[in-house]
Amino acid sequence: MRNLTLLTVPLLAGCAGRHNWLSSAGAEADRVEGLFWVLLIGAAVIWSAVIGAAVYAQRRQVDPGLEHQARWFIVWGGAVIPTVLVCALLIWGLVILRDITPDKGDLTVRVDGERWWWRVTYDGPDGDVVTANEIRLPLDQTALFRLTSDDVIHSFWVPAIGGKMDMIPGRETTLALTPNKTGNWGGLCAEYCGGAHALMRFDTVVMEPDAFDAWLAAEAAPARVAPDDPGFAVFRDEGCGACHTIRGTDARGPVGPDLTHVGARARLGAGIYAMTADNMARWITDTHAMKPDADMPPYPDLSGARLEALVTFLLSLDHAE
Amino acid sequence: MRYESDKQPSRFGPPGYAPRVIDQGSVWIMVAAPTLWALHFVASYVVAAVWCARIGPSLTEPRWIIAGMAVVCVALIVWLATQAVRRYGGVFVIFEEITESSERGRDKFIGHVSLLLCILSGVAIAFTVIPGFVFGSC
Amino acid sequence: MTQEIDLSKLPPPAPYDEARDKAQRSRLAKAWQGPPGWKIVSAVNNSFIGKWYLLTSFAFFVFAGILALMIRVQLAAPNNDLFGQQLYNQLFTLHGTAMMFLFAVPIFEAVAILVLPEILGARDLPFPRLSAFGYWCFLIGGVFVCGSILFGVAPDGGWFMYTPLSSNEEYSGLGADIWLLGLSFIEVSSIAAAVELIVGVLKCRPPGMRLNLMPLYCWYVLVVAGMILFAFPPLIAGDLLLEMERAFGWAFFDVDRGGDPLLWQHLFWIFGHPEVYIIFLPSIALIATMLPTFAGRPMVGHSWIVLSAIGVAFLSFGLWVHHMFTTGLPEISLGFFSAASEAVAVPTGIQIFCFIATMLVSKVRPSVPMLFAGGALAIFVFGGLTGVMVALVPFDWQAHDSYFVVAHLHYTLIGGMLFPLMAGVCYWYPFVTQKAMNARASRWAFWLMFGGFNLAFLPMHWTGIMGMPRRVWTYDLTDGWAVLNMVSTVGAFVFATGFAVLAINVLWPRGKAPFVARNLWNAGTMEWAAEVPGKPWGVRSIPYIHTRYPLWEQPGLVDGIDRGEWFLPDAAEGKRELIVTDILDARPLHVQRVGGPTFLTLGSAFCLGAVFILATYHLWALALAFGAGFVGFTLWWLWTGTSEIPERPHKDAGRGLTLPTYAQGNRSPGWWAVFITMTGDMTAFMGLVFSYFFYWTALPDFPPAASQLPAFGGLLAGLAALIAAWLMTVAARSLLGQGARRAAMALLVGSVPVAAAGLGGWAWAAWAVGLDPTSHSFDAMVWMLILWMGLHLIPNAIMQIYVAARIWADICNPEYRADLMNLTLFGHFLALTAIVIFALLAVFPLMMGAA
Repeated sequence: MRNLTLLTVPLLAGCAGRHNWLSSAGAEADRVEGLFWVLLIGAAVIWSAVIGAAVYAQRRQVDPGLEHQARWFIVWGGAVIPTVLVCALLIWGLVILRDITPDKGDLTVRVDGERWWWRVTYDGPDGDVVTANEIRLPLDQTALFRLTSDDVIHSFWVPAIGGKMDMIPGRETTLALTPNKTGNWGGLCAEYCGGAHALMRFDTVVMEPDAFDAWLAAEAAPARVAPDDPGFAVFRDEGCGACHTIRGTDARGPVGPDLTHVGARARLGAGIYAMTADNMARWITDTHAMKPDADMPPYPDLSGARLEALVTFLLSLDHAE
Repeated sequence: MRYESDKQPSRFGPPGYAPRVIDQGSVWIMVAAPTLWALHFVASYVVAAVWCARIGPSLTEPRWIIAGMAVVCVALIVWLATQAVRRYGGVFVIFEEITESSERGRDKFIGHVSLLLCILSGVAIAFTVIPGFVFGSC
Repeated sequence: MTQEIDLSKLPPPAPYDEARDKAQRSRLAKAWQGPPGWKIVSAVNNSFIGKWYLLTSFAFFVFAGILALMIRVQLAAPNNDLFGQQLYNQLFTLHGTAMMFLFAVPIFEAVAILVLPEILGARDLPFPRLSAFGYWCFLIGGVFVCGSILFGVAPDGGWFMYTPLSSNEEYSGLGADIWLLGLSFIEVSSIAAAVELIVGVLKCRPPGMRLNLMPLYCWYVLVVAGMILFAFPPLIAGDLLLEMERAFGWAFFDVDRGGDPLLWQHLFWIFGHPEVYIIFLPSIALIATMLPTFAGRPMVGHSWIVLSAIGVAFLSFGLWVHHMFTTGLPEISLGFFSAASEAVAVPTGIQIFCFIATMLVSKVRPSVPMLFAGGALAIFVFGGLTGVMVALVPFDWQAHDSYFVVAHLHYTLIGGMLFPLMAGVCYWYPFVTQKAMNARASRWAFWLMFGGFNLAFLPMHWTGIMGMPRRVWTYDLTDGWAVLNMVSTVGAFVFATGFAVLAINVLWPRGKAPFVARNLWNAGTMEWAAEVPGKPWGVRSIPYIHTRYPLWEQPGLVDGIDRGEWFLPDAAEGKRELIVTDILDARPLHVQRVGGPTFLTLGSAFCLGAVFILATYHLWALALAFGAGFVGFTLWWLWTGTSEIPERPHKDAGRGLTLPTYAQGNRSPGWWAVFITMTGDMTAFMGLVFSYFFYWTALPDFPPAASQLPAFGGLLAGLAALIAAWLMTVAARSLLGQGARRAAMALLVGSVPVAAAGLGGWAWAAWAVGLDPTSHSFDAMVWMLILWMGLHLIPNAIMQIYVAARIWADICNPEYRADLMNLTLFGHFLALTAIVIFALLAVFPLMMGAA
């Protein structure tokens, strides 16, 4: 069904492990990574000591006179030392938690979890800039994510940059992420949200601040659509605008992802397929083969020149000057 | 120790006539200290939750409310611990298992376990106070 | 009445007389024999029910394990489309559900029902028919839930069933109803078993077994059953709310109507985290029981283990939010739960150190059970250490819902539960079957399981660190998770092979194999006193116990038991009898007659199962009919099998001990069962109270303005009527005590319409101001509290009339009135519930309005 590995391999060959917590791509992930190594070494030492004690106990000669020491062993080994250790860990963990949950960020990004994609809204100079399934962040700036959901609970997670936070209907949660390495990092839905939960992903592109500003400006601009574009005619005739918005046209559907600059994104289907003409054509005609249960209805009757025109039109919706 | 007489004067009327829950010989002292931990825990959670939902982001007041409740609870636990020691004959570390088949043996056992639970509950209450002193606001 | 008896100075037993021994044995056998042929399904004795329970739980384990293997096959390679999204979502939901609800908790009950009475030197649990009822409920409910996958309608919302995914009809279908109703049904049977085990440990110990002499296994059973009593009811309350939303559109979790999806998470995890320890502690108890046997000496730090069990039981109720660390709660709230999650590591660790301390002062005999115990130690300690990691909030923000947590939880559950359980199976196999297992095959099984387990789950920590989230049915090659997943899949199959070897070893027919020696392992606990080959009565005579390890420390005990020198060596009246003792010192109080084989419990469970199953499909009329059948069977069972008036008030229990044959009030196990059940019921009610206050903190318009509040007058009148009805029951009790039978009957029957009027007053108060449960969470909450009262008044009314009928039939009379005392106790709890509901509906909104 999803026999697309061959297509995606070249695109992502350099990105293996782009979900790794230990990628050191964000300040928050770095804090947790430091904690992790200490915990790992500590756990290894404690595990070896406990199992070693058990093995040693079996190998030595029996000495019932040791019962006194055995009881102190319980007091110190079982009670006192663990209490001190977990107390220290608790305080350390809480301090890290305090440090990675600032009240303010350098920029705010609103992300709304949908079944099964992400609606992303930036605060642009001229109001909201809406996009989908791809988040771009400026390097070394703290982005404060404001997370919501209208349907079920999702969870927003870019493992390489920092921890995750649930998106809960009726609430707004926040998460601060400070990327400190440029690149394209993977984002995932971490809370099971039914159906195509496995196929709810996004790209997180970390850019130099100047490049980010240029991108945001381009993203804020309306789409450049030629009035006689045959692809746009198909788009209109098929009623795509009932669900999708293309800013600068009369397509203002609020249901599906904003397509104003869909051609500028690297992937389609919420971060799961490369943005190629073939994939786009298949997505339109055979959506559920690529993403079972997706809300978008397939258009199997589209074919030939009309389909080609529509795909060409959609892929032309990019930032190119 | 093992074959000691079972006979002890009973001060409690016919055997097992009622569940003796209050007086000496009660098992309730065993769960009293952990119950205090639970009460303090729930109260702390409620104070913080209501404060953050209804009053304001500053945690200065809840911090001291939680710490104050902890002092009260720990004081009660200390009292329980003295009861466990004095009335039940509980000790911290035993070097011989309390297997005496007598009411005194049973009391000593309950006192000993209660004392340990008092210590554990006290430590757990201290743990609960820590977050209040790390976070200054909701 | 009972004389103060010095158990250590009993008169000497009568000299052995072979003819008498034979006669007594045949009378005992007659009383305790299981029913013949196919009628065996009507058996109620713990040795039958325990075995069935055990085999059924393992059958569900195998079922859930096969689902796990299917999961592993699906994940073995990237972009695999073998099972597809829809089936995969059902697979992991049902895997978690079945493992938790149909294996991990029931297996505790199964083992406890099987061995607890024997460890206590008792012949059965105090309510054998209740065990049978619980077992059949478990079987019917489990088959219903598991069978759903064969029809493609299995639940697919995750074993945690988060709302709104599970509450909104748009996102979830019949599977969610099957989960909710099927599991509620099973939870009822879990609570029934918990009640029975608590009463069993507290009241059915052998004479002389004081608290300080009680075996560790009994401590754990007591603690865990107590935890079930406080952990399961909140989930039942949650299930009720969720099913009301699903079936009738009541607004509890829908944010558009003032609901809150997080409420479900709280109710679920208040159950869900203690549940982990409910699973873990009884298995550790198995190790604590067998380690002294193989060490050949008492446990070092017995009292520290008791401390640790009680401490863990309490602290485990302060951990639930660590499953909700990523839900955006205030950091200080997360801090409390992080603190408790760290603190619980201390008592958990103490148990392990007690085991090691025992090993330090002894030489443990190598054996298959100890091999499994050692494996358990290695795996569990590892899982505990990763548990300390995920208890830290920032770490959890990365690990949560990733494969790291999958690895962590399997390390704790398989290390803390499955391996000790396998050790227990190998340890008690000779006790149950009186044949020996093939040790060589068991060792193979162990190494396959141990190796396979680590191969499967150790890499999963790294898969999680590589960012693989849970509950995904597919991934891409470029994600970099392919090799790790393949290794895990291979490991899972090795693990499964190991289990299969062990299962074959256990189930291998050994009809012609020789019997094992009595007390094969040279253990010190009482269950090994059983004769080989086994006898239906369990223990020939119930001994006086004055040590922790009676078989080691009381020489000649077994011979004395066999010769019938101790208590209740006979069944002269042909009845099944137990000795009930007091809680602290196990002084004999009375002789308890327990029920024998019956089909009534079977019919009762079948009808109740039908009610739940039919309700899933909204077939209300049929459900009602089976509900009537359930009531009918249950009343018949109660009428014929409980509180029978004995043929004489006292009987000779042997060795000069004369005991009453009837008990009432707080001396009877039945009273304790009602008390404990109602404690659980109050806990479920507290779940509703918690929900009420949860909405209050979360919503600005909860409670709403005064005009939308239920009418105060109606509420007050309703409360007055409910209290009056309660007072009438209380008065009936004392009047019956004074011999006024007619007045008592009149009051009991008369209280039914009074209580109904009270409920009607409340309903009117809500209805008059137009409260509509489908419009807002406050309205729904008000109606839910009234419904809760109603759900309790129905059984109350039935029991009032039942007791009145018993008085009329002179089965309940001034002398013997246990039924009425138990009913009054139920009434006390009902009155308390009514007062709290009144406070929530009438007083609290007034206070808030005034403020």
